[in-house]
Amino acid sequence: MDEYPAGSLDHSVPLLHTLGTRTGSTYDAGLSAALKEQAVLIRSDLPPLESDQARALLRYIQDRDASRLPCNARDAAARKYRFRTKTAERSLLLPPRRARLPEGIEPPTPSPSSVLHSPYSPLSPISPLYPDGLIDTEWLRKHQDLVPSILLCFYTLVSDPTLATLCDNQIKTDVNNIRALLSQSGYKTRLAVVLLSDHASSSSSSADNVQERLEIIRRGCSLDSKALFLVPSSDSQEELERVAENMLTTLYTVSVEYYRDLGRHARKKRGRGIAPQPTVPPTSGTSQTLSLAGWNVRYDFKSAVFAEYRLEMDVALRSYEQAYENLLSSELMELIPSWSPRWNEARFLADVIAVRCLRCLLWNGQHSAAARRWQFHRERIADFVDRRGRGTNNYGWEAWEARWAIVMANLIDKAGIPEFAPSARKLYLTPEKSAMGERLQPWELLHHTGYWYRLAAKHLQARKAFAHAIPEDDRRSPSASPASHVAKSAFAYDTYMCPDPYEEYPLGRTGVDHGHMIVDRLMRARAEFLKRHQTRFVAEVSLECARELAAAKDWQNVAELLRPIWRDVPFRSEGWTSIAEELNWLLRTAAAEVGDAELILLTDWELLSQDFSKRPGWNYDITKSLEGIAVKSKPSVSIKGGRHPSSISATFLFKEEEGKAGQDVRSQLCIKSNAHQGSAPIVLSSVEVGFKGCLDSVVLEHQDHAQARQQNRGRTTLAAIPLKRHVDEDAESDATATDEANSRVALVGSADLTLLPGQTLVFNLDIPLREPGETVAESLTLKVESDMFSLQQSLSFQERNLNPWHISASATKHLAHPQPLAIRVLPRPPKMEVRCPVSKEQYYTDEPISLEFEIENGEDVEALARLDVVLFGEKPPSVTVVIPGQAEQTSASVRSEETRLSGAPMGTIPSFKSLNVGLRLPPIERSSRYDLTLKVTYFLPTNPGTPISQTATFQLNVVNPFEANYDLLPRVHPDPWPSVFDPDTVTIPATSDSDSDATPISAKGVSQAWCLVTRYASFASEPLLVTDVDIAIQPSPTLRCSLTTKHTNLPPTGVGRVVHPKTIQEATFSLSIQKLTVDDRSHAPLDTALIIKWIRADDDTNTTTTPPNITTLPIPRFTVFGTEPRVLASVSHHNPNHNHPGDKSSSSPLSALPLIKLTITIENPSNHFLTFGLAMEPSESFAFSGPKQTTASLLPVSRRSVEYRLLPYEPPSRSHNATTTTTTALTAGAAEEKGGEGGEEEEKEEGPRLASYGVLLVLGSGGGFDWCASSGAALYAVVAPHQHGL
Amino acid sequence: MATAIPSIACLGVIGRNNNPLHTSIFPSYDPSTNSFQPVRTPLQFALILSSTLDVFELRSRQNAAAGVGLTGDFGLLHAVDDRLAAYGFETNTGTRFVVIVDMRGRRMDGAVAAGLADSRDKRIAGAATGLREGEMRPVFKAMQVAYIRLMQNPFFDPDEHSPPAGQGGKKITSRKFGEEMRRIGENWTPGVTNL
Repeated sequence: MDEYPAGSLDHSVPLLHTLGTRTGSTYDAGLSAALKEQAVLIRSDLPPLESDQARALLRYIQDRDASRLPCNARDAAARKYRFRTKTAERSLLLPPRRARLPEGIEPPTPSPSSVLHSPYSPLSPISPLYPDGLIDTEWLRKHQDLVPSILLCFYTLVSDPTLATLCDNQIKTDVNNIRALLSQSGYKTRLAVVLLSDHASSSSSSADNVQERLEIIRRGCSLDSKALFLVPSSDSQEELERVAENMLTTLYTVSVEYYRDLGRHARKKRGRGIAPQPTVPPTSGTSQTLSLAGWNVRYDFKSAVFAEYRLEMDVALRSYEQAYENLLSSELMELIPSWSPRWNEARFLADVIAVRCLRCLLWNGQHSAAARRWQFHRERIADFVDRRGRGTNNYGWEAWEARWAIVMANLIDKAGIPEFAPSARKLYLTPEKSAMGERLQPWELLHHTGYWYRLAAKHLQARKAFAHAIPEDDRRSPSASPASHVAKSAFAYDTYMCPDPYEEYPLGRTGVDHGHMIVDRLMRARAEFLKRHQTRFVAEVSLECARELAAAKDWQNVAELLRPIWRDVPFRSEGWTSIAEELNWLLRTAAAEVGDAELILLTDWELLSQDFSKRPGWNYDITKSLEGIAVKSKPSVSIKGGRHPSSISATFLFKEEEGKAGQDVRSQLCIKSNAHQGSAPIVLSSVEVGFKGCLDSVVLEHQDHAQARQQNRGRTTLAAIPLKRHVDEDAESDATATDEANSRVALVGSADLTLLPGQTLVFNLDIPLREPGETVAESLTLKVESDMFSLQQSLSFQERNLNPWHISASATKHLAHPQPLAIRVLPRPPKMEVRCPVSKEQYYTDEPISLEFEIENGEDVEALARLDVVLFGEKPPSVTVVIPGQAEQTSASVRSEETRLSGAPMGTIPSFKSLNVGLRLPPIERSSRYDLTLKVTYFLPTNPGTPISQTATFQLNVVNPFEANYDLLPRVHPDPWPSVFDPDTVTIPATSDSDSDATPISAKGVSQAWCLVTRYASFASEPLLVTDVDIAIQPSPTLRCSLTTKHTNLPPTGVGRVVHPKTIQEATFSLSIQKLTVDDRSHAPLDTALIIKWIRADDDTNTTTTPPNITTLPIPRFTVFGTEPRVLASVSHHNPNHNHPGDKSSSSPLSALPLIKLTITIENPSNHFLTFGLAMEPSESFAFSGPKQTTASLLPVSRRSVEYRLLPYEPPSRSHNATTTTTTALTAGAAEEKGGEGGEEEEKEEGPRLASYGVLLVLGSGGGFDWCASSGAALYAVVAPHQHGL
Repeated sequence: MATAIPSIACLGVIGRNNNPLHTSIFPSYDPSTNSFQPVRTPLQFALILSSTLDVFELRSRQNAAAGVGLTGDFGLLHAVDDRLAAYGFETNTGTRFVVIVDMRGRRMDGAVAAGLADSRDKRIAGAATGLREGEMRPVFKAMQVAYIRLMQNPFFDPDEHSPPAGQGGKKITSRKFGEEMRRIGENWTPGVTNL
């Protein structure tokens, strides 16, 4: 806006002029010299006031000057008045109302029409507008600066009664004087008087007096009541302000009225519809006068301005628009030739009207309409210039475009739109309601001023480009170029408000400083964007700005401008490489010019990356970056990874997910160069891998050709680097364990760290793990050292999806584990060993178990150990631990599932020594399976706080060593049965000795003999030595049972017999059972158990010393006795030679035949008399003697025997020709018995010599008893076991 | 002047990490040479695209405070100047689509304007000067469809292009996606409701 003449675009504010106060500043009428001599002097005769009160009042009025207030309706509504104030002490000058005729010009002789006009009118010859101009800034200034709407005169109201009248009269005279001068001038300026009372009089009489005086003055001056003000003499500022506020508010209405009158006047003149004639008809130039249309524009413009004074913005806008349309219509501007100065004046007027329109729109909050109006004017003018002027493709147009954008920015600024406060963070305004829903250009949503400044800068750049394209001929100054050329070029350039081409871009000297203008606009834009945190936009603007500065070679500013952006805006890391590249090169150039070595290094380091396009001809060599740069000290640069990634990338991998303290872990460091092909190799002086957690850092130092074992393949180099431990000297302290952990220990290796462009260096590292815990590889620090500088780049490792592990230089594989940057270091593994040297496969029930364990300390130092034993299983027994040197301990807690013995102290186990621990378990009754867990917890004196534990688990199988089956076979009891008729055998029913059970009563009842056959099998996995087999008979209240003989098949010495696994042994026990009383003949149960005493056969210990293990096998219950009759067959051999087996010759043939005696014994334990029929079937295989058919009658409780003697015809054969049985016959197998030595006793001996003969005996029951049929069956049943027994 | 209508000057896809994923630049009509030329250089377009990130940031903060903008359509981000304007859309995975419209990108010749027979094209001619609020929605929709298609490609790894934790990411190299963007950019004119 600066380029527009002052006052042309300003908001019109009513002018208030004060007179009669000492101001301290000189009065400047602001009139041009030509007008000054014709000016009207308004003068006060009274001396100016100098009282404090007057000054305070004046200051207050001046402070309320409204010319700088924001131009919007909101602000205006909050104020009761708006004045622009000017002050004068004694006198002021007003421009002449009527211009005099210039000298030498005579009014035409018949001059009734030759009226004098205002000097600002195109009718007056002294006006620059004469004869056909429209209107100019001077007219605007006349009302804004020169002709006040109100003249406010200050006087003192003297309170001294002696002087009062005199002074009042003086005031009256002065005011009347001024009034006369004003009316003489022809202006309708309102006169107002303010009287400052010089004495505070509180009395009512004096107040009346003052009132009276005021009235007199008012009347004497013929002033309106609204034009006279009294300021009471009061010290209080508030009072003064209140009075001043009232006064100004009142005056404002008067002033509005004044401007309304002026506006009315302008409209009246427009309404006349004729173009007034100038004072003197023009004689020069085209002698053309202003057309009626031109006058209409002038009148419309005037009434619009007066409306603006009145703040009637709608009215003003209407009038302005009307003026604008008329101005650009075909009748006015279209007719002005473009070479005429009036052309530019008209353009200027169009601009002014447009600006004032925009202000009206912004005033009313029609922001989108304003933006649209702005665009509309631009396009209208562009169109106009294209058609009628010199086109838009020249620097003049661009200059105007830039100016037009700036104007808008200034207007927006001036409008003070609250939505554009930086805190509101709004970039543009939403369209007002009336514009909503229309098709709006995005630009029509009013953007904040930053955008407008930037737009201006853009047009300035275009202007610069156009200016630089001006041919040299035109750039020469006109004095130096041929006149013909000057004439030709005079109309080729649009010079509306901008210099001629030879000034714009002169040859040989500096002309317009475009760069400076652009930078200025851009910096203003930048400030706006910065306020709203549009950092990337700021970067963009700064970049443009820097380019301009670079063109001006202002490198210092370039560096200062770009450095924060380069540092803070993440273009590079976000992947906007083209932007970053531009930024880097600009900064690099600036840094080189400024001599900022660090910046050069940083940018050069970054530009090495292949992400950027390669600059042809550039020597990419970081070591030569600083050549030609003067540096005071050796620059040292440290670059943090992330924000400015370098051309070098690095990855790190642990091969394993877990490792153990004290072991090595294999890892791989991979450094990859992404530098431009053809750039110089980078020699890294060292690289350092940093870890988070409990690992030392790893440092690789450069050493030329250090690698003997390195593989090269293509662009990959693989090398295994041995690492040595290196403790920093200054950090080294006592060699205690804790301090060592804190001190800074690094693992150092050396390698060739020369990195060619595009090369990948792979290092295999075996890193020893020291402390348990989680460790993560965090960062890599690269160092480049040279004589000129040192550079340090840190890179942080990133987790990635693919983790290639270099097996060789050419081959990779992918590591599967998810976090190859992390390793979990497990605690040091225990080196304590728990062994069970003698562990048996099986343990047996009823055997006390004793286990021996060996605990060996494999640690380097002695260990203080404790032992926990847990036995887990079903109903585990208690455990006793025997530790040498310690007291025996038995498990304290026995639960149904678990037996636990905790913390049995084992004392100190020396290094590489072992300790034998015994474990004892009592005999277990049932076969079961247990888990035995031994846990040795120990502490090492080197690290007493950390318990280390070793656990060993053993299985304990406890099985039954034997199983057995049993048969109970009947035998004939040799003793006679008691007879009911025998008094000895009959017990007298004891009536009194029911409680004398203590004395054993001798059994007197029926007796039977039985034979218990047991066959036991060894289920053990190894041979067992059975020392004894026995049975235990449970005593019964009704019978007495005794073991008569037993055949255990064991050596009689008691040494025992080895029973091999899975073999069956037999043992028979003869039992004699007798009921206690004869009367008792009921069934009786027999409970017995088999007892096997055994020891382990392979036990080295003496069998005699260790007590044998006793396994008791309960025998299922047998039932003996009963009321059923029983038939028993017994066989005995009556062989006379039997006693002399060797004497065969002496024996007769008959006597050589074996004679077998078969005794059939029938027992009748019932209470009935029973008769049995007995028939012997003859057989061809033997002869017999005895009754063929007989009948046996048995009394109750008696038995009878029938004897047969059998003589077999044939030698005993294996054939068993036993006949079939029927229900009425029974078969008794007769077994020849070898070893039987006479007697009726059955001798049982299984063996090959057993022979059998079929003997058929038919027993029939006697008739007469109805139970006989069943008795036959019962008989058979009784015999059956007997027969089986044979 | 009235014959100039808006066209798309540039389509940009910006990843979650503020990284450029894709940029397509379209030529605009240049009346001085009577030819089609891109209105800015690729570098300038990159700068314009990146500067929209400020607006996205600002807007999403304002939207979050006001609880609006759930559709992801940010509408007009800002007008870069009186000719170019940037419109934005953000998917719920944080990928952003930016359309830079050149308000004077196409010429509507008298002949062409006369030749527009059907009502739709007349509407375009009438609407040549401005844009309605939702006018960019079909473009964003089409871009999103294209982006979703790209995502459905099993060989396209989104994490590679916008690492979840890291910075930057690779650009989209899919030729099909590029062609799709080109088609969208070239076919759009004001008033188009389906691309």
